[in-house]
Amino acid sequence: MTSIDSSEAASALSDIDSIVRRVRQSRIYDLTSRMLILWGALTFVGYLVTWLSPRHAGYAWVAVYVAGTAGWALISALNRARSGIRSFDIRIFVAFLLFIAFGIFSCWLGHFTPRQMGTFWPLYFMMVYTIVGLWVGLAFVAIGLSIIALTLIGYFFVGEAFDLWMAFVNGGGLMLGGLWMRRS
Amino acid sequence: MAELDDIIHQPLRLKIMAALNALPAAAPGLEFSRLKKLTGATDGNLGAHIETLSKAGYVAVEKAFVGKKPQTTVTATAAGRGAFARHVATLQEIIAASARQP
Repeated sequence: MTSIDSSEAASALSDIDSIVRRVRQSRIYDLTSRMLILWGALTFVGYLVTWLSPRHAGYAWVAVYVAGTAGWALISALNRARSGIRSFDIRIFVAFLLFIAFGIFSCWLGHFTPRQMGTFWPLYFMMVYTIVGLWVGLAFVAIGLSIIALTLIGYFFVGEAFDLWMAFVNGGGLMLGGLWMRRS
Repeated sequence: MAELDDIIHQPLRLKIMAALNALPAAAPGLEFSRLKKLTGATDGNLGAHIETLSKAGYVAVEKAFVGKKPQTTVTATAAGRGAFARHVATLQEIIAASARQP
C-alpha cells in the first residue's frame, strides 16, 4: 500500500488541477478555432466585397452575420453530438444579439464613416475577445491584441486599400489565429 | 482512512486519469496525440502506462483508422472514474487529517 504525507498529497492534487485546466482550455481552443476559421473566412469575403463594390457592402455584411450565426449554431451542434458538451444556447445567442445591437447603436450615435465602421467593428469584437482571453487562455489575448494593432495601423496609415487591408488583417488574422489555436 | 490506489498514484497515470476524468462521461475520450501533449510524456512511456491502466480496467483503448492514419482513443471506464474519485477523496483526507493534527 502506498503511503504519502500531506505535502505529497497536496502536490498530487495540484497536478490534477493543472491537467484538468489544460484539458478544459484545450477543448475551448478546439471549438473556438473552428469558429475563428469560419468567421475569418466570412469576414474576409465581407471586406473584399466592401472593397470591390462598396454599394453592396451593407448586403454583404448582413449575409456575413446571418451565415456566421448559422455556421456557429451548426458547429456547436456538431460539437455537442461529438463531445456531449453544449456550447450554444439561447442566452449566448441573446448576448450576441445585444452585443451587435450595442455596436449598431454606437455607430449610429457616432455617425461613423464607412472607414470608421470598418475599424470600429474589429476593435469592438477583438476588445471583448482579449478580455475573455484573460480568463480562458492567452492565445485569445495574443490574437485579439494583434488584430487591434494591425487594424489601427490600417486606419491611420493605409489609404484607399483599407478594406483590402482589413480583409487580410481581420479575416486572414482570424483564420491564422484559428489554425494557430488548433495547434497550441 | 481509505487507501490510495497504487495504480493511479504513479504520476503519469495520475495525469492520464485526471485528463480523462475532466471529460463528461458521454464524451468520446482523448486521442493518444492529445494525451501526449497534455501530459508531456513520450510515446513509449505513455503507451506503457495506458496499458497498465487498461489492464486494471480503468481505461478503454480504441484503435481506428481515420483516412489512412491510425488513431488511438483512450476513454475512462466507469470503474476508472470511480477509482479516480476515491483516490482524489483519499488525497483530500490526508490533507485534512494533517491539518487536524496539533
